[in-house]
Parts: sequence; structure tokens; C-alpha cells
Amino acid sequence: MSSSTISQPPDSHLQARTVAVIDIGTSSIRMAIAEIDEEGNIRLLDRLQQAVSLGKDSFTRGRIRRSTIEKCVEVLKDYLQILGEYGVPNPDQVRVVATSAVREADNRIAFLDRIYIATGLQVEAIEEAEVSRITFLGIRPRLEDASADATDRIVCEIGGGSTSLLLLKSNRVVHSQSYRLGSLRLRKSLEKFGATSDKLRSAMETQITQIVEHVRLHAPEGELLDLVALGADVRFAARELIEDWDPEQLTRLPLEPLTELTEQIMEMNPAQLVQQYQLSHPDAETLGPALLAYTRLGRALGLDHLLVTNTNLRNGLLQEMASGETWLREFLDQVIGPVLERGRHFHFDEAHALHVGSLARMLFHKMLDHHQMDPRYETILYIAAVLHEIGLFVNTTSYHKHSMYLIRNSELFGIGPTNLELIALVARYHRRASPKQSHRQYRVLDREQRVVVSKLGAILRIAVALDASRNQRIHSVSVSEVNGSLVICTSDVDDLTHEQLALEESGSLFKETYGLPVLFSAGTGGSEAS
Amino acid sequence: MKMNAQQFINRELSWLEFNQRVLGEMTDSSLPLLERVKFAAITASNLDEFFMVRVGGLQILQQQQVTTTDAAGMTPKQQLEAIQLETRQMVDTLYRCFLDQVEPALAEARIRRLTPDQLSDTEQLNLKNFFLEELSAVISPLAIDPSVESPLTGNKILQLAVLLGDKERGDHSRLVFIPLARPVSRFTRIPSTEDHCFILAEDVVQMFVEHFFPGEQVIHSASFRILRNADIEAREDLAHDLLLQMEEMIDARKTAACVRLEVSSSASDVLLERLQDFFQVSEESTYRSPGPLDLSAWFSLGGLRGYEDLQYPSWPPQACPQIDPAKSMFEAIGHRDILLNHPFESFEPVVRLLEEAAEDPGVLAIKQTLYRTSDESPIVKALVKAAERGKYVTVIVELQARFDEARNIEWARDMERAGVQVIYGVKGLKTHAKVCMIVRREPQGIRRYLHFGTGNYNEQTARFYCDVSYFTCDEQLGTDMAGVFNAITGYTEPPTLHRLAMAPLTLRDRIMEEIEQETDAASRGEQAIIRAKMNSLVDPKIIKALYQASAAGVQVELNVRGICCLRPGVEGLSENIRVISIIDRYLEHGRIYYFHAGGEPHVYMASADWMPRNLNRRIELLIPVMDPGCQEKLVHALETCFSDDVKSHQLMPDGNYRRIATRDPDNPVRCQQVLYERAVEQVSLAEQSKPTRFEPHRRPDRS
Repeated sequence: MSSSTISQPPDSHLQARTVAVIDIGTSSIRMAIAEIDEEGNIRLLDRLQQAVSLGKDSFTRGRIRRSTIEKCVEVLKDYLQILGEYGVPNPDQVRVVATSAVREADNRIAFLDRIYIATGLQVEAIEEAEVSRITFLGIRPRLEDASADATDRIVCEIGGGSTSLLLLKSNRVVHSQSYRLGSLRLRKSLEKFGATSDKLRSAMETQITQIVEHVRLHAPEGELLDLVALGADVRFAARELIEDWDPEQLTRLPLEPLTELTEQIMEMNPAQLVQQYQLSHPDAETLGPALLAYTRLGRALGLDHLLVTNTNLRNGLLQEMASGETWLREFLDQVIGPVLERGRHFHFDEAHALHVGSLARMLFHKMLDHHQMDPRYETILYIAAVLHEIGLFVNTTSYHKHSMYLIRNSELFGIGPTNLELIALVARYHRRASPKQSHRQYRVLDREQRVVVSKLGAILRIAVALDASRNQRIHSVSVSEVNGSLVICTSDVDDLTHEQLALEESGSLFKETYGLPVLFSAGTGGSEAS
Repeated sequence: MKMNAQQFINRELSWLEFNQRVLGEMTDSSLPLLERVKFAAITASNLDEFFMVRVGGLQILQQQQVTTTDAAGMTPKQQLEAIQLETRQMVDTLYRCFLDQVEPALAEARIRRLTPDQLSDTEQLNLKNFFLEELSAVISPLAIDPSVESPLTGNKILQLAVLLGDKERGDHSRLVFIPLARPVSRFTRIPSTEDHCFILAEDVVQMFVEHFFPGEQVIHSASFRILRNADIEAREDLAHDLLLQMEEMIDARKTAACVRLEVSSSASDVLLERLQDFFQVSEESTYRSPGPLDLSAWFSLGGLRGYEDLQYPSWPPQACPQIDPAKSMFEAIGHRDILLNHPFESFEPVVRLLEEAAEDPGVLAIKQTLYRTSDESPIVKALVKAAERGKYVTVIVELQARFDEARNIEWARDMERAGVQVIYGVKGLKTHAKVCMIVRREPQGIRRYLHFGTGNYNEQTARFYCDVSYFTCDEQLGTDMAGVFNAITGYTEPPTLHRLAMAPLTLRDRIMEEIEQETDAASRGEQAIIRAKMNSLVDPKIIKALYQASAAGVQVELNVRGICCLRPGVEGLSENIRVISIIDRYLEHGRIYYFHAGGEPHVYMASADWMPRNLNRRIELLIPVMDPGCQEKLVHALETCFSDDVKSHQLMPDGNYRRIATRDPDNPVRCQQVLYERAVEQVSLAEQSKPTRFEPHRRPDRS
């Protein structure tokens, strides 16, 4: 223990706002309350956790029981009381997310509605990719602070309902993957078939081995590698095994004692774990399988330790709230690595792809008055622009359709299935036919999504046309409406005939969507934009 | 280390030793006379509680023929026999000293208890008028039907037993009890010009008792008092509404088994037999008192005004120089941590903090534990006010604070009416921690102000209990405390604490770790010291760890005011352990622990004694005091205890206590006096260091 005087909140906390994030997980509802100052510094004020059996319900019955819903309402009402005590009056300052247990429940809409009616809280059921991305946002400052032996890292979180995996190079994500396999899901699916404890263990081992094998496939061979383990289960192990563990730091957790602890825990049933370690029952259920998976993974990667920290989804959500307007830049910064990796996988023309991407973003900004879309759609457009040609890897004929299905079947870090579908369709509509009701994938979208696809697809066509030369000669444009036409000017070149031709070949989607024809104009007006 | 029964002292006998030391103050003729009267009252009142709480439980075990032994190897039967022997001697000494020394000395000092035969005719007449006009109106005799045990024969209440009948015919069949409880005052003043004269209520009623029974003959009357088993606790597992059940439990205590019958030695054999039959009390549990019953009532006489020469000189609580009365408590605590040694330093800042919190517009929430507090508590009033002003106020009221249950139920209801969120404790655990947390929005952000105490939030008892208060707005302690409150109010699962330790989860482990670290240091040949102050040391695991520490060479100094089951100074077991106990004008109540930790001491204050009940069955807190100034002050208070050679006793290997002789008669060290003088000195130093400044009284609008 070191002596200390009273700690004062730093002066930079001028006009701090108090915010909260609530994470409705498989076995617990957790809340973090924090203050964010003007500079985006986060000061954690309080953390709460109450056990719920959402995962148990969802993974065994496919739906959340009424009694569980009411328990969740009760917990959230408790949390609202605490929020009142911190003077957090308005729901704008509270972000509530739910993960796999809610997302996968057949009655998730009834669940979300009941929560809203009883508490006024809007719960977002976020997708796995989103969970990974947000969690990474939370852990990134720790990774950057820590001195690393290895340049490559695998960040793994074995949650109750799913497992997420990120491969990092120099702390940038190059690959991400998530599996519908979580510690609680595993236990519940096996228990459902009445497996005995011996069989339960061997079935767990088999499933875990499958994941481990998959991870090994993506792990760079022969490279020095670190495994960063996240989640409540490994935090428990760290508290048990590391003397004076500073949870704020990335700390080494040696694999040998972890294996011993795992063996002890696997010998005990959840009731015994509750008794001995003062765990909640839901936490006790996930502990054994999760630790078993971490130790197997560590061993398969030839490691003698894991790295642990207390970072979690809530930290990431707070980071995101703190980042405010810089959110988009941060987001793009995170997701671009895996996107490029995907493109390279299909041997895309990287220079062209990136240039089309940046032209598309430029147009998105300059055409705000025309499209009036939320700034978040810029990301969809950008990723679609970068990947629009990957279908060429399959065949040049109808390659836009190949691009679509390759994207749809990819896993992109931070991009959930809904957004992935939009990206795939925007890429598909960068050429040829305009979206039609007869196009199955387009038809199943709701109206708002259909409009997004049309608007973004039309912009992408302009961006593609502007680099029709494939030599990245146009860098800046201006956009104006002249005599009922949208005029795109650039001073980078004197002649835009080739580009104009390309635009005309790409069809009439823009006019159909925005009601304006597009004209390219060279030589004037382009200098203002950059 | 293999443990055996000889290595432990029986806790009941250790407690009796403690009361013997209290009695020792009463028999010490060097004490001011009225202080001796107070100690007589405390001895008697302690003994009452001991019978109700401990003897009651042992009697039940004996009735169930339980023969398992305690850590010291004694069966319930053996313990009861030993207790009986000791208590009879104690009661004898108490009365002998009271009647032969204290009362004659009081009379000499013109404080006289009069008996009916000492009254003049006029005094008798005045008394009769008083009886008829006032006393008889508030007294209700109860006819006793031997076949039905009346629920109203109250516990601890002084009563008069009256036998009615026809003396000539030898008929004394009717038995009546006259309870002399509130509002009847035990002492009735007999007007006198110079002396303070009084007569006891039981004597007045006995003088005129026949007025209650016109047409009947009073054959005999005598005062008596019963104590009932209070070792009855609420069955929480069955309690849907704890509040309701607590009320039922208090009722149950009124009819629980009688553990002691105290009866005036003037009672006839016939009356005594009737009482023993009625209350089903054996001869072993019957105590015949040669003097007035229930000497605990004499406590108020000890504080009699106008006789200051017979009392200790007044030590008015000092203001802490760190707290500027002109500035808010928030400002003072924000400036630096503050530690107060009560009662030498005033408890007023604690009350002021809550009163300011109730008014302060920046305060969002107040969370507070309440175990025992005073009637008309200003703290309860401040909490109610805060709630009425729209602040979030949460109070964890411990309904099960023994003997305070009824009062606690009252506050709980008052506060609920005002909108305070009242939590009736935690299932299965008594909330014994003393803590208050105030959440305040400031320009720099949310800040949490904390007050930790070793004593209750009771400004009355804070005037004569030695306790510690610690104010801080340390961020980590605040985060820990928010987590503890969230956990005990059921809003979260128990959190991982960074600095605090909490019973029943981590407090025992932290103490064991600290002891083990000292043991390891000593084993490596390094200096290792443990110093601790507490009320009781009973826990066998901790005692064992301390024996191991001693064997490794750790210097262990313990100041245990009450029960100590550890046997110190035994060759090969505990030769490095020294145990002292201080009994002085104020009740030693603080819990302070010091571990040398290689020269960077770990210093704690706590709400917990080292007893299984505190460590396993209560919500208790262990608070590290890390601020250098506060730590120094706390360590000084602790060390002063061990240099006391006026009011301390040392526990000997045989389990007896021996008064420590004054080392230097010219410079005796009396711990409580040293602490008081230091508090005075601090105030005067602060006064001297203040620059002279004139502060005119301005109109409020110009200030």
C-alpha cells in the first residue's frame, strides 16, 4: 500500500457530463456510470451488475420467459434509481445495448417493448460484429499503453452466447471473426440433450477444439504472438491467481496455474462454485467452459501466458460516447484494416479501390443537401466503394453480382449483417441495372434501406466514373446545381470525356433517384475542394 | 501449530473479568465519588445484559443437554456453574461496596437516600399527598393468576410483589404485582434546604400500598425484578415483512424464559417461593439483594448537577482546528482528509456535514447506515429534510440492533413517510458498518464525500465513547463505497473492492493476510509489529494466526477492552503478545489496527471486532487510513493506549488481569487524558498561528 493524499478530480473535468451505459448480456445486466469531460476524458464513477438468466432462456427455449423479462425490468428500474442519484436525468445520456441472448430470442421485440414501456429505456440489440468493434474500442487504449513482446495479438472474448476473435497487427485489426459458440450456449445445448457431466466435458472439449483449430488457421505462423483474453470469467481467474492484480493494466496470467484452476473448477458443479467463490449462479455456469476454452487456446498457440485486463463492452460504449463527432473517423480507422485484407484476398486493384473510396466520401460530403442521409452511411458507401470490384476475382462477367455475394459472405470487423447487406447491395449497384423489385435481395429490404441503397449506389457510380482512367488523376471536385443538372467540376484535368462516357455507360440510377442528370465539367471550380 | 483448549480463555469468564475491572473502578476510592456511583450503575447494567444475552443462551443449551465444548474446552453446564460462582461474588462485592462505602460517603457529601423510617411527619404527609395525587394515577397493580403467565410481567422492570389476604387466618392467597416502570421516577426528591435527599419509588409505594386494595389486608410486600432471555432473534428466512416480525420478536422477548430473579432480601420465604414458582426460576438463578435493586438507575445520579467536586473535571469536546466553522464541511474535506478522535474532539462536524448536505443544492444523494442513534436524532432529522428537498436518500436501518429494535422501527417509519428509501438491513447479516456517503455535483464533476466511523451515529453517546471519525473524498474509497452501498441495497452483486475490505466477504482475509505478512517478515528476521485496539478478541482463527505471529517473533500489542480469549505471555505459545485493557471515564470503543509492513505501516480503522459474529455474520468495514496526517494521528492514539499506566490492566497468562503500576508517579500516563490534552493543545496551537484579524458583524446582506 502506498501512502496517498486525497485524489482530486482533474481540472480538465470542466463541464463534465454524466453518462451511463447498460449492457444486457447472457448472464448479467451490467451498468457503468461515468463522467465525460469536454476533452473526451472518461472518469468511471460506478459499476453495477445483477445476474439474469437471459442466456439460459434463449439458448434452451429460444425465447425469454416472462419471469425473466420482469426480472430484467426490475434490474433496470433499480439502475434508473441509481442514475437518479447521480443526476442523470435524461435517457439521451444512457445507452442500453443487448447482445446475443436478446438478439436471438424469438420474442425479442416483446422483450424490447416491455423494457421500453416499463422503464422508458430504448434497448439496441446489437450484432456480434458491433460488439467486437465496440469492445475493441474499449481495449485499444490499454493495448497502446502496454509494452508488447509481440507485434501480433489475438484478442478473444468467450462470452456466454458467442465468441469473438480479432487478429491485430501493430494494434490494428486485420481480421475478425465471431462464432455462435459461447460458454453458456455450450453448457445449455449439451444439457438439453441430457449429457452426463463426463460427456458434457468431452463434448465441450470437442467444440472448443474446433474453435481452437479455426483460430490457429488465422494465427500468423512462426510469429511472436500474444493472446489477450477478455470477459468476466478470465477476470475472475486473474483475481484469483494474480496477486495485487491491477485490472486497469494489461497483465500476464500464466497458463500453468490457470490450467490448474480450470481443472479444479471443472470438477465442481455450478452450485458448489456459487458456494465457494461467491459467484452468481449464471456466472458459475459459464466459468468452467470459458476457462477451459482459454487454456486450450493458449496451449494451442504455444503460449505460456495470457494477457488480461478488465476492459469490456461497457468501456467501448463509453469510449464511443466520449468520441462524439470524431466517431466516424475512429470507426473507419478501425474497420479499414479488415476491409483491405478482404480486398487483397481477392486481388483487387487497391489504388483504384481506395481512390474510388475517397472520391465517394468526397461526393457524400458535397452532396449532403441532396441526399440528406445520416453521416453514418458514409461508412457503408466507403466500404462498398473499396470492395466494389472484388467480384472480378470470380469472373469479369456480371462481376458486380460476384462482388455482392462475396461481400455478403464475408465477415468484416465491426460490420453487422444488416450493414453488410447494404454494403453488398451498394457495391452490386455500382454498374448496370438499377435496383428493381425483381431483385430478390433488394426486395426484402424495408423502404428506408431501399432508399439508402439507391442513393449510395448512385453516388458510387459517379465516383467510379471519375476514376474511369484508373490512374487516380482526379482528386478534388466541386458540386453545384445548374439549370436542373448536377454539375461536378474538377480543375485537376482539362478533359473529362472518358469519365463522362463511363458515367453514361453506368446507367441512369442517379437521375432516377435524385431527379437530376449529372454532368462532368473540367477546368474550373475544382480547386476549392480537397 | 496444534491448538488445544488451554490456549483459549473462555469468553464468558473473560467477559466477567471485564466487568470485574469496571467494578474495580467503582471500588477505587481514589475516584471522585459520583464517578464511582456511575461505575456501580455500569457494572449492574452490564451484568443485566450479560444474563439476558449470554446466560439465556447457555441455559437453553444446558436444557437441551448439549455437551459440546467451546474453544476453551468447557461444556455449557461447566460454563454456567463458573458464571454463577463469579457473578455471585461480583454482586456481593458490588453491594458491599455500595452500601458500606459509597452510600455513607454520599451521605457525608450531603446526597442522601432516605428510608421511610427516616422521614419526618411532615415529609410523610407530603409524600402521601404526592402518592395519592400523582403516583397512584400512573401505577396499575396486576392481579396474578398462577395458572396463566401474564405477558405483562415485564423484563428488567422493577416491580413490587404484594401478598394480600387475611393475616389472622393465614390466608395470603392473592398475589399482585405493581410495575414501577416509566413514567414512575425511581428517585423522588424530598425537599431539603442543604442536602440532596431522595427516596426510592419502591419505598414510597410500599408505604402506601394498602391504598390500592381497600378492604383487603396487605400481608407482605417486597421489590423484585426479572431478566428474560433476550437471545431471540428474528427468523429472517420466514420473514416476509421484517418490520412486522421484529415487532413480534420484541413481544416475544417480553414472555421469554426468565434467566434471573433479583429480589430484595426483605422478601419473605413465602413470597420468594411464590415468585420462583410463578417465573419458574431455580434457586441458582435467584439473587437476593441486600440493597436497592437495579443499581443501573443510579447512573443519572452520577451526573447530578451542583456536585462537580464529586465528578471528573469537565473535558468539553474540542473543535478540530482543521474544520473552520465559517466554511462548509465540503470545503474542509475537499481540502484534505480529516480524522477526529471522539469524544476529545467534537462529534458536531458529523452532524454538520449531514445538515449541510440536506441544504446544499449540489448534493444529489445521501446514503447512510444507522445502527443505533439517539432519540430526536439530528442526523435522522437532516436525512428527512434532505429527502423532503428532493434528494435521493437511502438509509440502511439495522432493525436488529439488540435492545434498540423498538426505537429503530420508529425512525424507519418516520423516514419512510418523508420519502427516504429505507432498507431494513441485509438478510442474514446485521449491518454494523458505520458509514455515510454524500454524492455531490461540483463544477469539476461528481464528487463523493465519505464519513467512516467506529461508533454509531449518535451524538449523545459520542460524548462518552472513544471512537474515530474519518472524513475523506478520496476517489477510490468513494468508488469502493458506492459499490458497497449498491451491493447492500441489492442493486448489484458484491463488487471487487480496491481499498476497503468488507465483512463477511474480504475483511477476515485482509486481516489474516496482514498478520501473515508480519509473520513472514519476522521469519525473515525483519522487524514486525502488530498493534490493535478493539472491544473483543474471540475469533479462534485470528487468535491462532496471532500465536503463529508471536512464535515467529512478531511483537504483538493488543488493547482489548472487553472479552479476550487469547492467552498472552505463555512461553512457547504467545510470549511476544501483550494484552492490555483500559477502563476509564469514557468507554473505549474504537477499532484501530496497525501492521508494521516493513516500515510503511498499514493502518486501518474498522467497525468490526475480531469476533466470528463480526467477521462472518455482519456487514462490517475495514478502512485503510492512508493520508499521512490522519495516519499519524491515529497511530498516536493507538500508541498512547499502550503507554497508559494509570487506567490499564494487563492480561496475565492465567487469564486474570493485573492493574499496571504507574512507572513514574511524577509523570503518570493516562491515555484518555493525554488524548484530551492533545486535542486542547491542537486548538491552542491553531489559535496562536492565526493572524490577528478583526471580523466585524455585518448585516447579513452585506456579508
